[in-house]
Amino acid sequence: MPQPLLETKLFLPAPRPGLVPRPRLRARLDRGLTSRLMLVSAPAGFGKTTLLVDWLSSLSASSGGRPRSAWLALDPADNDPARFWSYVIAALRTALPDVGSNALALLQDSQPPPVELLLTTLINELGTADGDVVLLLDDYHVIDSAAVQAGMGFLLEHLPARLHLVVASRVDPALPLPRLRARGDLVEVRAVDLRFTADEAADYLNGAMGLRLSTADVEALEARTEGWVAALQLAALSMTGRDNVSGFIAGFAGDDRYVVDYLVEEVLQRQPEDVQAFLLRTSVLDRMNGSLCDAVTRQRRGRAMLEALDRENLFVVALDDRRQWYRYHHLFADVLRGRLLDEQPELLAPLHALACDWYERSGDPVEAIRHAVAGGDLSRAADLVERVIPTMRRDRQEVTLRGWLEVLPAGVIRLRPVLCNALAGSRLSTGTFDGVEELLSVAQQWLDQADDAEASEAASTDMVVVDHEEFRRLPAEVAFHRAGLALVRGDADGTIRFARHALELAVDDDHLSRGAANALTGLAAWSKGDLETARSSYAACLVEFERINYVSDVLGCSITLADIEITQGRLRDAMRTYQAALDLHERHHTPVQRGRADMHVGIAARHRELNDLATARQHLMQADGLGEYASLPQNAYRWRVAMAQVCEAEGDLDAAFDLLDEAERLYEGDFSPNVRPVTALRARTQARHGRLDEALDWVDRQQLSVTDELSYLQEYEHLTLARVLIAQHARDGEAGTLAQAIDLLERLLRAATDGQRRGSVIEVRVAQALAHQVRGESVEAVAALQAALDLAEPEGYVRTFIDEGSPLMPLLTAAAEQLPSAYARRLLAAMAAASSADPHAQAPSPRTSGGMVEPLSGRERDVLRLLDTELNGPQIARQLVVSLNTVRTHTKNVYLKLGVTNRRAAIVRARELDLL
Amino acid sequence: MRKAHTSIGRGHVAGWYEIRVQGRLEQRWSAWFDGARLTHDQKGTTVLLCHVDDQAALYGLIDKVGDLELQLVSVTADMCSPARGARSSAD
Repeated sequence: MPQPLLETKLFLPAPRPGLVPRPRLRARLDRGLTSRLMLVSAPAGFGKTTLLVDWLSSLSASSGGRPRSAWLALDPADNDPARFWSYVIAALRTALPDVGSNALALLQDSQPPPVELLLTTLINELGTADGDVVLLLDDYHVIDSAAVQAGMGFLLEHLPARLHLVVASRVDPALPLPRLRARGDLVEVRAVDLRFTADEAADYLNGAMGLRLSTADVEALEARTEGWVAALQLAALSMTGRDNVSGFIAGFAGDDRYVVDYLVEEVLQRQPEDVQAFLLRTSVLDRMNGSLCDAVTRQRRGRAMLEALDRENLFVVALDDRRQWYRYHHLFADVLRGRLLDEQPELLAPLHALACDWYERSGDPVEAIRHAVAGGDLSRAADLVERVIPTMRRDRQEVTLRGWLEVLPAGVIRLRPVLCNALAGSRLSTGTFDGVEELLSVAQQWLDQADDAEASEAASTDMVVVDHEEFRRLPAEVAFHRAGLALVRGDADGTIRFARHALELAVDDDHLSRGAANALTGLAAWSKGDLETARSSYAACLVEFERINYVSDVLGCSITLADIEITQGRLRDAMRTYQAALDLHERHHTPVQRGRADMHVGIAARHRELNDLATARQHLMQADGLGEYASLPQNAYRWRVAMAQVCEAEGDLDAAFDLLDEAERLYEGDFSPNVRPVTALRARTQARHGRLDEALDWVDRQQLSVTDELSYLQEYEHLTLARVLIAQHARDGEAGTLAQAIDLLERLLRAATDGQRRGSVIEVRVAQALAHQVRGESVEAVAALQAALDLAEPEGYVRTFIDEGSPLMPLLTAAAEQLPSAYARRLLAAMAAASSADPHAQAPSPRTSGGMVEPLSGRERDVLRLLDTELNGPQIARQLVVSLNTVRTHTKNVYLKLGVTNRRAAIVRARELDLL
Repeated sequence: MRKAHTSIGRGHVAGWYEIRVQGRLEQRWSAWFDGARLTHDQKGTTVLLCHVDDQAALYGLIDKVGDLELQLVSVTADMCSPARGARSSAD
């Protein structure tokens, strides 16, 4: 956890001595252990916390398999989801120390995880935890963040059986209560249940408090307070040590004043003046210890005073077991604050200022800022916010930071260039662009003015800068944010210009700015098709991000870098990029896993290109095994694309098309240009496997035409168009179609050559070879293929050629004869092997020209016949009354003898050989 | 330039409201309720007459009623408060 946790928030209050036992409520909560949610919903002063503490201690008393408890007292700052879930996990770890380490790792990552991923990870960890745990969230009414509430809803919906959730709140929480009620998943304790009955009131007043009241007196008190626990407590306090108790009760019962007002008045009047003053002054504090009380009261007996209040039961609640931190009971605090506001409103600002001083001295900027705002000292708040920006960023508390910045008045922000820039940045990062341009301009004006002032040696008067280190970084940051703004506006040139400027201005040790500026430059250059700039920018960005341990950013950028390298025909570099990213974890000993699965997918795709399908599959399985927890958002679709291409290579077209359909649905682009659309890949695959009409539909839908102006962003689609046209010509025989394809390919070749996209050049050359071959221009065809081979050989491309199947075979043979090389021979051998595996291959495979190498046995023929049915493996085994393993052995032999690798191909081959 | 009509964006409508709660609340709570005027009636209820800048401020006041566990009886928009003239000059 980057920021230290306040242990007081996780402290389970000790049960108070002399509690009235409430078996009916305990029993109800016991029942709640079998439901999904226990909700204790009642206003302040109804004894919610007391009840839960009492119930927990009753659980611990009954032995055997009792659940452990995790307590979390919420405060308004917990509306920042990162903070909320960090505390929830910390609370759970007080009960189950080993739980949640994966979830915590996600929270520490440089990219905030989607809340569902975070919770799924946590839920999985809880699922394997040893023992039951009750998670109690006290003061849940302070939560109004929609993001936190949505997360809680998700947790409830997927609650592991061993986790029991208890929510205590003054108002009903925004959770799906009616649905939970209807399903019987909710056990509630509400105000009406918490009210003291007359018997309980008697127990409390005469038992615990030892007041010896008459039945009539108890009934009068119960009626006047309506069983409200806080009021009964106040009344008891007023009566302790009083001579004429009945007279007090009569006076109280006969008065119609607000109960608390009346009673607090009574209690306060009986306190010495110094105690009254102490209570009023410290009422501005949410939490207090002796030293903090000394600071706001300007006295030196805070600790003794708190202990005395605790002893006399004067509405203080201990927040730790060393009795250092306390708070007032909420209701009592509100009444005290109401009085302070009425009687000495002029004290409010100075009291908050003193509290702010104390918190600033003790290194708690969050509380210091809260008091500065509460005391109305907004420029002080602004100073404090400015100082804490780097820490808040490092700890990913962007939501809290933005909350402060949005609260400060525009007039205060405008004088502070660091804050102008910070607010612009936090708006940009949450996708809000209102006022960003203006904020950046104001910051820039201050920077320019500061430059001029330096030149003329005159200090600029109005500008406020507290953090001079941040101010030093400011020119680069403003330029960087301008680059970001240009990017969302689709202005690639502007992005590159500002990002370059940011890089020039960035101080050397500002790795975050340098990395981010490089990434922006890379992204903008990539979307313009300037791949060389993009590649060097991303490579530089990786170095910077690695310096500051931004692991998942390194992995995310590695995907992009490898994509670019592949387009440039640098397969080996791409493989090194993936491998370096995977090794990062060993180099940095980081627990962050996110992005590792993506690297395996990238490696799998490269192995597929090298025609090592088994290794490709192995990496895809590894990626799958790592799970969503180790994946970036794009991985869901990228995995399916890679797997589809492996399946296609293995001859399983149905699976390939299913995977491509899924990939299309799951496409996640982020800001990256979609340079290889899934639909284009599908159209290409359709055209290759005789599903031309569907491919032509795609051309229509995309409104692609051979006369389109070419750009890198659409290169893949236009190349696909050329392939579809070649396939169309093969079917219809129209010469015009082919001529169009050849023209288009010629233009694509020039564009790819100019853009130094060697990977694209190879693909275009292969398509050209096929097109010329169809037109009977074998010299041109072989020349085009030879050009592709020259470029492809050093990187070891295989599938790019053999995926073309039989039409390329004679060309490859001719090329190998013209210019014999080990590479060409290797490709020929691979093609021969692959086409025998491909049921759609038209060319006779070398194995079959002379029939079967080895005849099938009788049992193998039986298996083969059953392979030609709908039966699955176990069903076939049952049919033949043999084990599944035996069926597998026979099947393997059948495939081997037929020279195929899958069931469908086996059937096709068997028919050709009249075995079926 | 055309002047925006005040009823556009209901969330921004400033105005007077009467918040009625059960019990007698003393005048000293005025500051707590952002300077509301407190009056009592025969039925033992207290009326808080308050001026709010927008709906968010009104909900803030209602939350404060809840924080004190006061029983809320009614909330009424008071379009023609007698205090209006006196207050508006101070706004």
